[in-house]
Order: sequence, then C-alpha cells, then structure tokens
Amino acid sequence: MKNRLRVLRAERDWSQADLAQRLEVSRQSVNAIETGKFDPSLPLAFKLARLFETTIEAIFSDES
Amino acid sequence: MICSIKSPVERRYVIRMWIMAALCVLFSLLAVVVFRHGHPHGIVSYLVAVLPALPIMGVLVYTGVYLAEEKDEFQRNLLVQSLLGGTGGILAVITAWGYMEDLAHAPHMDLIWVYPLFWLFAGISYGLVRARYR
Repeated sequence: MKNRLRVLRAERDWSQADLAQRLEVSRQSVNAIETGKFDPSLPLAFKLARLFETTIEAIFSDES
Repeated sequence: MICSIKSPVERRYVIRMWIMAALCVLFSLLAVVVFRHGHPHGIVSYLVAVLPALPIMGVLVYTGVYLAEEKDEFQRNLLVQSLLGGTGGILAVITAWGYMEDLAHAPHMDLIWVYPLFWLFAGISYGLVRARYR
C-alpha cells in the first residue's frame, strides 16, 4: 500500500524516531510502514490520521 | 532484538528469558545430582527428570505473554513470523529424520534436540524476516 508518511513527516520536520515516539511504536515499525513493506492495522492507521489531522485515505492509497 | 531493547515490555521479556535460562541450568544440575546420588525411582524419578523442562515451558508461556503485552504490532508480527519459521523448520527436520530413521536406519535423534533446534530455526527466521523489512 502506498502512503504519504514521508511527506507528512517532512512537512513537520519530524524524524522517523519522532513519529515513532508519538505513535508509541518502534522506529523500525515507522520505517516498515513508510516504505510500504508493512501495512498498519486499522487502529494504527486511525492513530496516524489523528496525529496528522487528516483522513486515512489522505495518507494511504490502494496501489491497485 | 536483544541488542536494541527499547520498550519496557521487551525488557521484561528478555529478563524473564534470562531467569528461565538460569533456572534451566540450575534444575538440570539438580536433576543430574539427584539421579547420581539419590537414585530415585518410580513417580519421583519422573518428577525429577521433568524439572529442567519446567523453565523451558516457562519460556514458551512468557513468549505468549510477550505477544499479548507488546503494543507494537510490527514487532509482534516479526516474532510471530519467526515462531512460525521455527515451528515449520523443526517440523520439517523431525519429520524428515523420522523417515530416515525408519527407512534408511539413520542414527536415532534424541527428542531433547527438538527444543533448541526450534529456537535455532526461529532465530534464523527472525534474521531473514528483519532483513526483508530493512
């Protein structure tokens, strides 16, 4: 699944570690999600959307 | 995982693993001493012989507790995939070895090897799974 996490993070000048701390997950988790290698659960996707004050659809898009 | 412990849950898991490992060594030595000097028999011998297996069961229980306590779904996913790799690996080896023993008269493999081999395969799986997400 494609996502705009890197862009959203850059807009706020957050490192992967900063985002991980805010989400209460490991930096490896953020990296895996950001690179599209790991799809987050719905609760984590909602947490991301709340954190970036946007919708899940604005962060994630179905590749197909 | 051990070299980069971050969360309290992970730290607790590693501490519990070390305690179980220490208990395993202690109980193994105790069982050997009891069998060498006490010569137990009957139900007592079974109870003494099973002592070193108790911390091993503890490791499995605490691994389940870790999976229940860990909030980071990615880390949970890594461990679950590693455990599946470990289970698949050991099942493949003991099944293949069973056929080799039955049909080709290969030397008998002691069941005591199943547990360390499971963790060996789980460790290899963990490395492979981590590499995939890098």
